[in-house]
Amino acid sequence: MTLANGDANRPVQGQRSTPLTYRRRIHTALLIPALAVAALAVAACGVTPQTTLEPTTEAARTARDLLMFVFWAMVVTFVLVEGALLYVLVRYRRRSGDGIPPQTHGNTPLEIGWTIAPAILVVIIVVLTVPAIFSNARAASPDALKVRAIGHQWWFEFQYPDIGVVTANELHLPVGRDVEIQLESNDVLHSFWVPSLRGKLDMVPGRENKFTIKPEVTGTFPGQCAEFCGTAHALMKFYVVVETQAEFTAWAETQRAERVPPTSDLARLGEETLTLGGCVACHTIRGTDSAGVLGPDLTHIGSRQHIAAGILENTPENMRAWLSDPQGVKPGNTMVIPELTTEQLDALVAYMQGLK
Amino acid sequence: MATVTATAPDTRTFAGTAWSWITTVDHKRIAVLYLVTSLAFFMLGGLEALLMRLQLATPEADVVSAERFTELFTMHGTTMVFLALMPLSAAFFNLLVPLMIGARDVAFPRLNALSYWIYLFGGIFMNISFVAGGAPNAGWFGYAPLTDTAFEATHAIDFWAFGLQILGVSSILASINFIVTIINMRAPGMTLNRMPMFVWMSMITAFLIIFAFPAITIGLVLLIFDRYIETSFFIPEGGGDPVLWQHLFWVFGHPEVYILILPAMGIVSEILPTYSRKPLFGYAVVAYSGAAIALVGFGVWTHHMFTVGLGPIADTAFAISTMAIAVPTGVKIFNWIATLYGGSISFKSPMLFAVGMVAMFIIGGLSGVMLGSPPIDSQVQDTYFVVAHLHYVLFGGTVFGLFAGIYHWFPKFTGRFMHDGWGKVHWLLMLIGFNLTFLPQHMLGIDGMPRRVHTYAADMGFDLWNMMSTVGSLMIGLSFLIFIINALRSIRHGEPSGGDPWDGGTLEWTIPSPPPVYNFAEIPVVDGRYPAWDIKRGGGHTGAVATAPEAGAEADEPDIHMPNPSYWPIVMAAGMVLAACGLIFHQAFILLGAMLFVISLVGWIEEPAG
Repeated sequence: MTLANGDANRPVQGQRSTPLTYRRRIHTALLIPALAVAALAVAACGVTPQTTLEPTTEAARTARDLLMFVFWAMVVTFVLVEGALLYVLVRYRRRSGDGIPPQTHGNTPLEIGWTIAPAILVVIIVVLTVPAIFSNARAASPDALKVRAIGHQWWFEFQYPDIGVVTANELHLPVGRDVEIQLESNDVLHSFWVPSLRGKLDMVPGRENKFTIKPEVTGTFPGQCAEFCGTAHALMKFYVVVETQAEFTAWAETQRAERVPPTSDLARLGEETLTLGGCVACHTIRGTDSAGVLGPDLTHIGSRQHIAAGILENTPENMRAWLSDPQGVKPGNTMVIPELTTEQLDALVAYMQGLK
Repeated sequence: MATVTATAPDTRTFAGTAWSWITTVDHKRIAVLYLVTSLAFFMLGGLEALLMRLQLATPEADVVSAERFTELFTMHGTTMVFLALMPLSAAFFNLLVPLMIGARDVAFPRLNALSYWIYLFGGIFMNISFVAGGAPNAGWFGYAPLTDTAFEATHAIDFWAFGLQILGVSSILASINFIVTIINMRAPGMTLNRMPMFVWMSMITAFLIIFAFPAITIGLVLLIFDRYIETSFFIPEGGGDPVLWQHLFWVFGHPEVYILILPAMGIVSEILPTYSRKPLFGYAVVAYSGAAIALVGFGVWTHHMFTVGLGPIADTAFAISTMAIAVPTGVKIFNWIATLYGGSISFKSPMLFAVGMVAMFIIGGLSGVMLGSPPIDSQVQDTYFVVAHLHYVLFGGTVFGLFAGIYHWFPKFTGRFMHDGWGKVHWLLMLIGFNLTFLPQHMLGIDGMPRRVHTYAADMGFDLWNMMSTVGSLMIGLSFLIFIINALRSIRHGEPSGGDPWDGGTLEWTIPSPPPVYNFAEIPVVDGRYPAWDIKRGGGHTGAVATAPEAGAEADEPDIHMPNPSYWPIVMAAGMVLAACGLIFHQAFILLGAMLFVISLVGWIEEPAG
């Protein structure tokens, strides 16, 4: 904006009879963009964990690079076209004594020119886009880790068929190795989106979508469902933990095991409450009678960093809040919790915190 | 029978006035009905938007519930597209097409009234849902299978599906009417090549509606079957495919974008020449680029589906067609700028809105090019970046363009100016508010905020942008209030404008304001693109328009044959909407509706045409 304003204003300056008033106007005109830039700077200092601009894989980098290139191409176009518009508006404003201006109806060479100019620009963008489309759709190497990601209203299930692990809302991946993620849905449309790893791909019931990525950086990266899927769409989040191969192997080992048996009386009461309270109808805790499949597998719920599909940190307080009022924490969700005494609630929390 | 005065109801009483509006078949009065109704729905859609913005102003807010939020964004989109912007464009078709082509009315006046009444009742029908068990809540493009009874057992989706079917009937009838009018009723000498650009864009829009709506009609029929008789066109368990819905919806939905923007482009193509006193630069190219946009617009729909997983070949093909559509769009903008170049530009409020439309639409076009590249789209699709983009096109483009039209033709409707100073305040406030609302949303999308979320966590870095956006939206709301007050005041107290306040070039400026019922005392003969200019500047040979009467000519009403008022259109529309109610409330309504429909059909046929 700043640039366009400056360009358009300059030629007028000399023609004005009262340059002082005019200069004041320039200052006002510059103030607004200046404030905008200041606001931008403030915002840029904030932390945006889910940004698309900090890629950690080839796929995400390709998208980011293309975005930046096209963005700057559009900025240049913006400045040229809006600049021309502003210039014409200021230069040809009506002055007293104006008659009927010359009546021009068209100019064929000029019009051919400005048909070709945008055509050249979009051809350049297409030429850069097509290879990126195909590289984003590349096949996995034969030793790739395979993951099935299944969308549910409103949580993510992750299965590792080759290593026998089933978990939810926290996807662990080894660094530096191809991962082929197959996307499915159990109910409505969802979309799998971890901006730092790759652009989104939908989870469509009845179809199997696949993509391959190779994580390059260890760390925890937030993701979120990106296709409207009902009431709690905003609260359907997950995290991807990228770790070294050794850490990943150790994690998988733990996850494959049956649940850690409760050690305290309180926790034992918790396990009993869980079994009798109807939780088993929907949840699986391997090593107990709980074998429901409608809700997330809870065998190692205590080992996860978050609960309730990435929206609460996994602390005893949050666990208690979640179990006390699941519909309050996540509107629309269908978890049914029977009336619990304070002791039963304490027991459940203690038990699940222990399911490392 | 039927000179203009013979059948006019007694407008001295309230009942007489109401009856005259209910039975009117005059295109100008129907235009006023469309205008008032669509602005009312525009206000409703705007209130829904403000509620959403208040909810999103701060993280983890609790202004509205998650359930209510889904209704708000669904009804905001549906209302703005189908109940506000399309009918607002229809108001301009109604007012301007006959006047601009030198006709006394549209080809089928009663059909025109029917289109309006179906629209009104359809809009009310859809909004009744708010108090009848829950409003539609699956988004304005209603992706399957979320719309299935398994996920929405109430009638929320039925209101939406039947409502859209009803509104589709209205749009298709109106389109047929305007195509026939434009092709058959142009004044002598007005070849296609001399039609005002707004009439060109109206005709292209009407064709778009006729070809695009059948796709959503079929989609909705299949959806209703899925919901009512347990077919499974979109349900995978029964062998259906949710992606089929997406194809059917967007085969309609993308041309719909052009249905919304082309009329505004037509308006701007009339206003820029008027206020710069120069003919439209590259008339033929602007007309053909409109047609090209419409045609190519049917071949780009899967760019709404780049993240569905259709595969790299499909993505490539549709990326190319999408990029291609940027070319005719760019051409239009260059031609507008060239129209201004060398002109004598007057900045009255209509012109400011028209220039605002061009300036803001450019931004929407540029972000559209970014979205047209599938790898970029895969990151920002379904985020606030898309929300920002679509509002730069439909608000920055369509809404600015339509407001330009309201300020420009308000004197033609009413014989009075809208207050120019307050018009400029409206413009400035709306321009700043609009950019403050939607510019930050680009950043929200790039920073990873999905659309259609009723809340966001405090640690996501979305706070500042959202607060800016909410402040901007309140400014837009305020600017609209200023507009409404200005308009209401100007109807009675505005400065009298006379028949040709802007030195217009097209035929409607050769007759008094408001125009007499018969429009033209004598049908004009046209031999140029700007017949009114030709007369005033003495350059042309246009004959009859020179004799156009000024206001006050009513003393000696010429004996012109005009169609009679009719109440059958409103009865027929009521019948259709009652029948739809039958599928939701009680089956008896179906019978009642069908009876009304048949009775009105017979009455319609038997009625003497005038």
